[in-house]
Amino acid sequence: MKFSYNWIRELVADLDCAPAPLERLITMKTAECEGIEPAGALLAGAVIAHVETAEPAAGHNVTAIVNLGPLGRKTVVCGAPNCRPGLTTVWAPVGRKIIDGVESDGMLASGAELGINKDHSGIIEIEGAPGDPVPGCAPDSIIEIDNKSLTHRPDLWGHVGMAREVAAILGHKLVDPVKPDLLPRTASRVRIAIEDLDLCPRYSALEFDNVKVQPSPVWLQYRLSALGLNPISNIVDMTNLLMAELPQPTHAFDADKLSGDTIFIRPAHPGERFRGLNDEDYTLDASNLVIADASGAIALAGVIGGASTAISDKTTRVVLESANFQAASVRKTSSAVKLRTDASIRFEKAQDPANTVRALARAVELLREISPGIRIVGGVADQMKEMPAPPPIELRLEWLRRKLGRALEPAEVRRILERLEFGVAESKPGVFLVSVPSWRATKDVSMADDLVEEVGRMIGYDSIAPVAPLVAAAVPPANPERKFQHEVRDVLVDLGFTEVYNYSFVSEEAVRAFGFAPEAHLRVSNPIASDQALMRASLLPGLWHNIQENAKHRELFRIFEIGLEIHKREQGLPEEVPHLAAALFARQGDGAAGLDEIRHAAECLMPGAQAQPAAAAPCEHPARAADLFWKGERVGRVFELHPSLIETGRAAVLDLDLDRVRALAGAAELRYTPIRRYPSSAFDLSVIAGLRDPAGELQSKVRSFAGPLVESVEFLRQYSGPPLEAGQKSVSFRLTAGSPERTLSNDETTAIRARIIEGMRALGYDLRV
Amino acid sequence: MSEDSIRELVAGSLERIRAARTLEELEAARVEVLGRKGALAIAGKEMGKLPPDARAAFGKLLNGAKQTLEQSYEARKRSLDEGALSRRLDGEWLDLTLPAPGPRRGHLHPITRIQRELEELFRSLGFAVLDGPEVETEYYNFDALNIPATHPARDMQDTFWLEGGNLLRTHTSPVQVRGMERLGPPLRMIAPGRVFRNESVDASHEHTFYQLEGMMIDRDVSVAHLLYFMKTLLAAIFHREVTVRLRPGYFPFVEPGFELDIQCLICGGPGCPVCKQSGWVELLPCGLVNPNVLRMSGIDPGEWNGFAFGLGLTRLAMMRYGIDDIRHLQGGDLRFLEQF
Repeated sequence: MKFSYNWIRELVADLDCAPAPLERLITMKTAECEGIEPAGALLAGAVIAHVETAEPAAGHNVTAIVNLGPLGRKTVVCGAPNCRPGLTTVWAPVGRKIIDGVESDGMLASGAELGINKDHSGIIEIEGAPGDPVPGCAPDSIIEIDNKSLTHRPDLWGHVGMAREVAAILGHKLVDPVKPDLLPRTASRVRIAIEDLDLCPRYSALEFDNVKVQPSPVWLQYRLSALGLNPISNIVDMTNLLMAELPQPTHAFDADKLSGDTIFIRPAHPGERFRGLNDEDYTLDASNLVIADASGAIALAGVIGGASTAISDKTTRVVLESANFQAASVRKTSSAVKLRTDASIRFEKAQDPANTVRALARAVELLREISPGIRIVGGVADQMKEMPAPPPIELRLEWLRRKLGRALEPAEVRRILERLEFGVAESKPGVFLVSVPSWRATKDVSMADDLVEEVGRMIGYDSIAPVAPLVAAAVPPANPERKFQHEVRDVLVDLGFTEVYNYSFVSEEAVRAFGFAPEAHLRVSNPIASDQALMRASLLPGLWHNIQENAKHRELFRIFEIGLEIHKREQGLPEEVPHLAAALFARQGDGAAGLDEIRHAAECLMPGAQAQPAAAAPCEHPARAADLFWKGERVGRVFELHPSLIETGRAAVLDLDLDRVRALAGAAELRYTPIRRYPSSAFDLSVIAGLRDPAGELQSKVRSFAGPLVESVEFLRQYSGPPLEAGQKSVSFRLTAGSPERTLSNDETTAIRARIIEGMRALGYDLRV
Repeated sequence: MSEDSIRELVAGSLERIRAARTLEELEAARVEVLGRKGALAIAGKEMGKLPPDARAAFGKLLNGAKQTLEQSYEARKRSLDEGALSRRLDGEWLDLTLPAPGPRRGHLHPITRIQRELEELFRSLGFAVLDGPEVETEYYNFDALNIPATHPARDMQDTFWLEGGNLLRTHTSPVQVRGMERLGPPLRMIAPGRVFRNESVDASHEHTFYQLEGMMIDRDVSVAHLLYFMKTLLAAIFHREVTVRLRPGYFPFVEPGFELDIQCLICGGPGCPVCKQSGWVELLPCGLVNPNVLRMSGIDPGEWNGFAFGLGLTRLAMMRYGIDDIRHLQGGDLRFLEQF
């Protein structure tokens, strides 16, 4: 939102604060300023000039002698096509320079150069006495305020509201531009029929005739241009001025184009068609509020006027609408038709219904100036909802002190609130009853906490000294999930893995490459790009991308990510499962070493974890994939990435469900067992098995026959080659047997050994003993 | 054997022991002189042939000779042993300047580093670290934070909507609500985590970034307490005293709401390019918790109140490490990540 410093100065009596310090005050006490831009810089020292002669010079230029009244005459070289004797225009003192051998003193300027309008087709043509300043046009400073910081302040979307703040901050008086007495007290000719007073709490209108549609005076054009608005014609410019000033959006209908004498405010009929001033066609439904005449919709309430009743050069009669619409309804319609206008942005902040008639009074004054000869027809049409003033807010000063943490004089609180035009009555000592002015009562201020802000910002938060809070000492509840994830990170980093973060979005293409079904993924309705439309149900596609990118400049690397898998559910929120995905990429080698290392990482995280061969998924090397089990539960997967997915090397991958791993890691509390006093005895067994019989399975089988006295079965080595037959291997295990109560006898160990051998032979395995 | 010949034997043997250059030579000398059948043993046997009055003196002489030679032998043996050990060890020379084998330590992501630092800091101040889902309901992300569907404040955060009507959380604030519901008052909590906004990505904008939400609810929490707490917190984050200021800011879940600025750490106040010549850097939004928010989470605002704040972890990491392009953070490039 842009504010003109000059305009604010007109509205605040005796304003003596320059733009820069004013901007700082507004930032500290009201809303965030984003900067100050100059406007109309060329207007400094500019005066009205009368062109006396214009002699052709080189090119398209003319050498003109201009009369500046008391400032004398100047010779100016001018390139504008409309520079001709008899013209009244604007001269600006930009210094002397030689153009085509002629000394040119100053310049004649176009409307665009002066910042008055967008016209740069020639020098400006205006009226006035030579040597006079350009009426109502002086260099200005435009203060830009962050719109987000005005979200809760409907009143600050216009200059009067900001001027009121400035007046309150500096202790000056606000100059209200509205003269309510200008409104006629006669009956209205326009009829108004509001169907739902909740959706349209107030609709006011006033009819004018003898209207002359023409360009606005330069002061009005300049005022709008300085704020970034385009001057269009006097009537439209006037409505824009009211919006930037009060800030009441209004709309002018060409009265001759209205059918019937009644303006209806009603929900649109389902499928009702409407063409906006922007020449777009809209198909409406009952959730859109429209303004209609006998023939149909003539405006989309609070959003945009209609093309059928738009004013034109030929307009002579105008009905000026000044209405108040429910914020939620305007917002809903504006987002449904995807059209945000200066009006809808204001209405959705909940405007003050009291402003509708004020705007009509202001319009009367403006129209008399900018459309000379205009006449009011009848009185103000005004239909409104009963709106009792909200009850005053009880403000206990002791409570206020506790909220701010600073002592306050009751008189100071009262002064602050009254300057902001709140009503203050002391109901009993230390308690104020505060009534809220209408422009703050729509949404902004409704409870005592809102008044804390009013007082706090005006005393200045820098006047509050920091105080240490007194709170009970308490050990915060633990977050075991997060703690565990940090531990996992530490293990992986110690093992040489570097942490990556990937987006939660994945593409259909990446998902398909991994053999997942896109439709199994939760879909983003409004993705930032079509390749980021699915929520990741696996961290692997992201990690794959990291591998591909880093493989371009690294021979060997280790990466990991801890993040959430998002799994769609029929109802409610999706399931979010924390996963660890780790990968080791090596350009050299056959991939076996990488798998060893990544399995070692799994072992470091989960001592005793077991891999169990399982059918490979499409993204996995068909002969190098296994499920990981820990304490009997499946916790993840270890595999080599399918070589067709990464052709420059081999990538070993680990994927763990961290919720499951954590549950298992935390399951058993640590208890000390006494160190054995009796020696154990060890013996080795070698099982002859097929080359692809997994050693892990052989180990479990051996274990299953070992009995309670066997403390451990450890893999020693495996061997294939002579004298074994082709396709065979020998897998050796070391078994340790013992008892906490005694030393085992030779007979006992021999029996254990015999039982295992017998058991394995029964399963069809030969043993080397 | 005469006493003289004993003395001669001792002198000669001492010389031999000293001259022995290997353990074998030394052992041969020991066997010859000190061995069971060695010269001194033989001399001892001859002692019986001496007249009784001469025996004592001769015996003493022999004992003395034996001690002298044994000491000499031991000394020489020690010396030869040491030499052998040091030669063996010298042969085991290794070049310890070679790089140690095995992978180098990996690197934590810069956001993880900052986040952990803050988690530890807040835990030390008695704050619980809470988590909430990344996919949220409209209720937790907006309504329960005093942002109903028709509220224009919804526009302040461009939202990713999901099929089925849920959304990706646009801030970590929903965890406030979940924390209040789960733990109740009094409450001190933070919620660090990933948030999403539907914005196009460039060097300073991301659709995915990290925030840390904080909240304290107790009996009497004031703006003065918020100021104290923020100063303490920021001093710990920046490892130095910081000057802060509050100015009005609008966030529907707090009332009053503030933007907290810190005095520019680069120029200290006079103004520089980092603070855009203002002397202040906008750091975080905060405020006293709106009573409506407390009420919606089942907390009586007549009895409890509190403050809340939101810290941009991504922004903090960028400030701390001087990262000039936000896209690096989710880019997965090891040339970037290995710097942390």
